[in-house]
Amino acid sequence: MSELTVKSGQGGARTRELVAAGIGKRYRAERRFRIFGLVAIVSALVFMALLFASIIGKGYTAFVQTEIRLPISYDVAVIDPEGVRDAAEMRRANYGKLYRDGIQSLFPEVEGRTDRRLLNGLVSSGATFEIRDAVIDSPDLIGKKGEIWVPAADDVDMLVKGRIDRNEPENTRRVSDKEIAWVDALQKDGRLETRFNWRFFTQGDSREPELAGIWGAVAGSFLTMLVTLLLSFPLGVATAVYLEEFAPKNRWTDIIEVNINNLAAIPSIVFGLLGLAVFLQFFGLPRSAPLVGGLVLTLMTLPTIIIAARVSLKSVPPSIREAALGLGASKMQMVTNDVLPLAMPGILTGTIIGMGRALGETAPLLMIGMVAFIVDIPHGFTDPATALPVQIYIWADSAERAFVERTSAAIMVLLAFLIVMNAAAVILRSRFERRW
Amino acid sequence: MENSHVRDAMHTPTETEGSAAAMGAKIQAQGTNVHYGDKHALKDVTLDIRAGEVTSFIGPSGCGKSTFLRCLNRMNDTIDGCRVSGTVMMDGEDIYDPKIDVVQLRARVGMVFQKPNPFPKSIYDNIAYGPRIHGLAANKDELDEMVVTSLEKAGLLAEVKDRMDSPGTGLSGGQQQRLCIARAIAINPEVILMDEPCSALDPIATAKIEELIDELRENYTIVIVTHSMQQAARVSQRTAFFHLGELIEVGDTEQIFTNPRHKLTQGYITGRFG
Ligand SMILES: Nc1ncnc2c1ncn2[C@@H]1O[C@H](COP(=O)(O)OP(=O)(O)O)[C@@H](O)[C@H]1O
Ligand SMILES: [Mg+2]
Repeated sequence: MSELTVKSGQGGARTRELVAAGIGKRYRAERRFRIFGLVAIVSALVFMALLFASIIGKGYTAFVQTEIRLPISYDVAVIDPEGVRDAAEMRRANYGKLYRDGIQSLFPEVEGRTDRRLLNGLVSSGATFEIRDAVIDSPDLIGKKGEIWVPAADDVDMLVKGRIDRNEPENTRRVSDKEIAWVDALQKDGRLETRFNWRFFTQGDSREPELAGIWGAVAGSFLTMLVTLLLSFPLGVATAVYLEEFAPKNRWTDIIEVNINNLAAIPSIVFGLLGLAVFLQFFGLPRSAPLVGGLVLTLMTLPTIIIAARVSLKSVPPSIREAALGLGASKMQMVTNDVLPLAMPGILTGTIIGMGRALGETAPLLMIGMVAFIVDIPHGFTDPATALPVQIYIWADSAERAFVERTSAAIMVLLAFLIVMNAAAVILRSRFERRW
Repeated sequence: MENSHVRDAMHTPTETEGSAAAMGAKIQAQGTNVHYGDKHALKDVTLDIRAGEVTSFIGPSGCGKSTFLRCLNRMNDTIDGCRVSGTVMMDGEDIYDPKIDVVQLRARVGMVFQKPNPFPKSIYDNIAYGPRIHGLAANKDELDEMVVTSLEKAGLLAEVKDRMDSPGTGLSGGQQQRLCIARAIAINPEVILMDEPCSALDPIATAKIEELIDELRENYTIVIVTHSMQQAARVSQRTAFFHLGELIEVGDTEQIFTNPRHKLTQGYITGRFG
């Protein structure tokens, strides 16, 4: 007995020695791993911060717009020469003359065609619509004088926002010394201000940066996403439920499974080409329509939703199915009463991730013509439209300096939508989450 | 090798089968075989389950007790690659007949599983589940009454009556298992199958379930799989011993435990293997 104890005592000492010899190495390995992890996370955060700083730094000025207060005389001879007060007739009047007269009256000393033209150029051509809308809204203005805020041209806007350097030599600068002097004069008179850029949030695209808005693209994206969601969610969930709960497990279902997984990895532009060939050329659906965009994005989103839904259906414990079947529930009752509610958080998360990807997708939409220049806000699924990421692409591709800030602002809007969608995913998940 | 040895032993009749029908057999299995893919899990089992009695299945693990139990309410249908052959008659009707509806069958043959598996719903909804899917209650009052009587019969009413709306998953293990029993009897089945209902429970909860089984025997035919021979001895009137997918011996519980006819049975109950 005592011999045995001694022996095991020796063995214990030997084990302790070996453990002690190796222990430093083990801890070092762990520390090394922790440092790698920290470095990875910190660099990811730094890049994210840089990205956000750059986008916000470039884009925040797009949320305000330089405007000029002009004295306007609402001349009957220009607006309504026949004196019939017909709205359709009044829409066609030459309001350009009114704003040009307005700015000229502020600088009576300016002479000569070239200079006058330069002076007129301080005001955006969008002033025409501003004055027209004011007149149509309240026709009693006609024949009176008044003041009205109108958007400044994009170069003036850039100058006021400090995006154009005054110290640059005049010949390489976008605005001349004369123009700078006029702008300064306007500013001194309190006739020039930066104001909240409501046009950006309510208008469609425009060739003039100061008039271009994001709303057309938002509406287009919304309609496209609606089509995508309405098609891909029910189809995807039904497919997943069928494959997971009803289909026999055999070679055919294996082949289908492999194909679905492969579809999820196909570059999105391929879906765009498919949509072009099938929906536009074969079925003859209209180009640039949210309907077609939604169909193409559905093709792209379906595999993601199916895979996510299958994974969450698989993770529902078999004991729940047994309980339901053992009580005599039919398979359909089991699925709708018990399995689907438990799988719902995962399915919703997968759906929102898929929708998020679809919202940010550009390439397939280019193929079906949603890249066109579209001014009108789309109101239906077959109206020509563009989408947020495509709008970003179009603006990023434009030459005007003022589109740079609008590009960044549009990116911010897109990111805001994505953040809202992810937040919705978190909320839905926690609402549906139940323990078993 | 061992198989053939067991098979030879099977030729000696294990019981006087002829008298079974006279004794009021609720379920009669004739030459039942089960294959999981290539695996022959249950071999030619012929066994009667008598009405109004508790029959227990014992045997070493993996011998096919659960497999046979699941034949009796066709839960094996839900397993991919599982094939059942032979006949299983309940009240003289073949339950594997294509004319028989599994949903109806499972309403007549309830089941309680090894691990308590309440739905992630309220206690009330757990019990009301069966009556709801089968449309047994005409109105809310009737449903309420069914829930209360089922809980009463399962001896759980006193413990849960003032928290009917709290989740069933929040109960203790033993309470959960009694909830599952209450859930099964809410649809008023004729037979209740229990697959090792106490294996996840502590001794006190086990004692409560055993007591409950004894009470339920009055109204239901009960089949219980157990790995505890003491439990089989305590709750059942008849005992069937399985080994490697074959039914070795079946008889009155007292006879099986005091005077087993077969060597293997003897070896198992005296604890020489298991
Ligand atoms: N779903 C299944 N698929 C394949 N083999 C199974 C399945 N269920 C049980 N088996 C096999 O059938 C045999 C009997 O299992 P079972 O009836 O569960 O035994 P037990 O007597 O322990 O309840 C075991 O060998 C087991 O491996
Ligand atoms: Mg078992």
